[in-house]
Amino acid sequence: MSTSNQGIYEVLSPWAEADPVPIRGLTAPRLNDLEGKKIGLYRNDKRAAGPILNVIEKKLKERFPGLQVSWYTSQKTDVPEFEDWLKSVDAVVAAVGD
Amino acid sequence: MESKNKPVAALINRDFTRVVESTVHSRGMPGLRTVVETIPCECSVLAEIEKGVSAVMDNLIAALTRPLTEEEKSPKPKEAEKLARIIFKGTLNEIDRFFYRRGWTDGLPVMPPTEEAVAEMLTGTDLPPDYLVAEIVPRNGKATVEKIAINAVMAGCLPTYMPVLIAAVQALTDLDTSFGVWGVSTGSWAPFWIINGPVRKDLHINSGSGTFSPGDRANAAIGRAMGLIIKNIGGIRKGVEDMGCLGNPGKYTLVMAENEEESPWEPLHVELGFNRGDSTIGVAFPNTYTQMQPYGTDDQSILRTLMYNLLPAVRGGYSLILPPAIARTLAASGWSKQDLRTFIAENGRAAAYELGSFWGQRAGGLYREKVPMIASDSVSLLRPELTRIIVAGGPGVFMGQLIGSWAIPTRKTLKKIELPKNWDTLVKKYRDMVPVYARY
Repeated sequence: MSTSNQGIYEVLSPWAEADPVPIRGLTAPRLNDLEGKKIGLYRNDKRAAGPILNVIEKKLKERFPGLQVSWYTSQKTDVPEFEDWLKSVDAVVAAVGD
Repeated sequence: MESKNKPVAALINRDFTRVVESTVHSRGMPGLRTVVETIPCECSVLAEIEKGVSAVMDNLIAALTRPLTEEEKSPKPKEAEKLARIIFKGTLNEIDRFFYRRGWTDGLPVMPPTEEAVAEMLTGTDLPPDYLVAEIVPRNGKATVEKIAINAVMAGCLPTYMPVLIAAVQALTDLDTSFGVWGVSTGSWAPFWIINGPVRKDLHINSGSGTFSPGDRANAAIGRAMGLIIKNIGGIRKGVEDMGCLGNPGKYTLVMAENEEESPWEPLHVELGFNRGDSTIGVAFPNTYTQMQPYGTDDQSILRTLMYNLLPAVRGGYSLILPPAIARTLAASGWSKQDLRTFIAENGRAAAYELGSFWGQRAGGLYREKVPMIASDSVSLLRPELTRIIVAGGPGVFMGQLIGSWAIPTRKTLKKIELPKNWDTLVKKYRDMVPVYARY
């Protein structure tokens, strides 16, 4: 409820500045076909992530009999194992379970 | 993974599209190909997973095979936000409504951050207004001293709270705190601030009767200011980036001091390696607060109450809050804080069948990778290294536990509160800001 004798105030913004983030476009060419490809299945530790990727693995293999999968089940991505795994696959499906 | 030149299709739940949008933009990759699915969160029902995956298989395959568009290869940069320092001019009511409609409040009216009020707030620190304390995720907003002060004014802080808020921002942004996880999680983890040292008395931070109840400016406004800082600097808004399922009233404010004067043990900050004369603030992220009436006031009854009332469904860090009378009884019977932690960890157990991981393991092949458990196995519910015992509260014997998340104050994440040179003068200036209750 406003009253007629209220003062007028200038106020400062509480919303913070943030440095502009360099925008990166996608560079990796998409695959022509999934047949014969090796698809990485990347998951976090949420309980649905694994079961979701299990079903995706099953359905991908039904559609593309020559398709292979490779799982990465740790959230550590700053380790050589992750780099090696990423290099070994043609594309990645990521699920986090939320 | 996309930045390492690998095509990625990321599955996201349809209710999380806004948080994903905020995340990919703040990381500079707006073109990430997402596949929106409708599987219930953390689903353990195989039929629902099958149905949800079937519905998006075509989209998922397309995300990996459809050629990139020019827009995806070279997305247009988002127009930089133009931020005016003076954001609005109006009456108190108009300011409050403007801020509320911008999503800058916690729902309650705020104090207007005028130039004059912010200048007064800045007297609480020797740091210059443009000093960058930290950047807060996920937006990576700059927590400058001035932005902290603006939000502090809005929350109703006194200038003497500024050193606490600056240290709190440092605690929040310590990488070991993992705020990026707890701040946005569906688990609704609330920042729980624990303050030790002489600053408690200087600021009248309550550690006695009704420690967690409203009525003390410092407890109320420090937590509230940190909530506004998280929102307006970190960019975490309820239901947008903060995906807390039920939410948590602790997110309004959850601040306590330790009742060091009435504790028979070393206070938290001394336990963690600080000097008793230091003032510190630490943060944990519980999502559950329960109170327990001890089965008796002797040490054995107290211990049994503590060990039988751990919660199998809420795992993680424990903050056990013991009122002075209980702490004195335990100490007089020879119990140290470490003895208590060890004892409760060894004896506070549940049968495996009471734990979610046991049932997850049994549900249709889920959790195949977990170590099998036998239903009658006994599992410890508390990890001593993730347990903090803090003395607080007034007369009475109810004990409290704040449980959940793996974040708990450590030597590294507990931060020293650095006071300005004119601290004594400042404290004197605001010392009488205490409620004086009329007798009736």
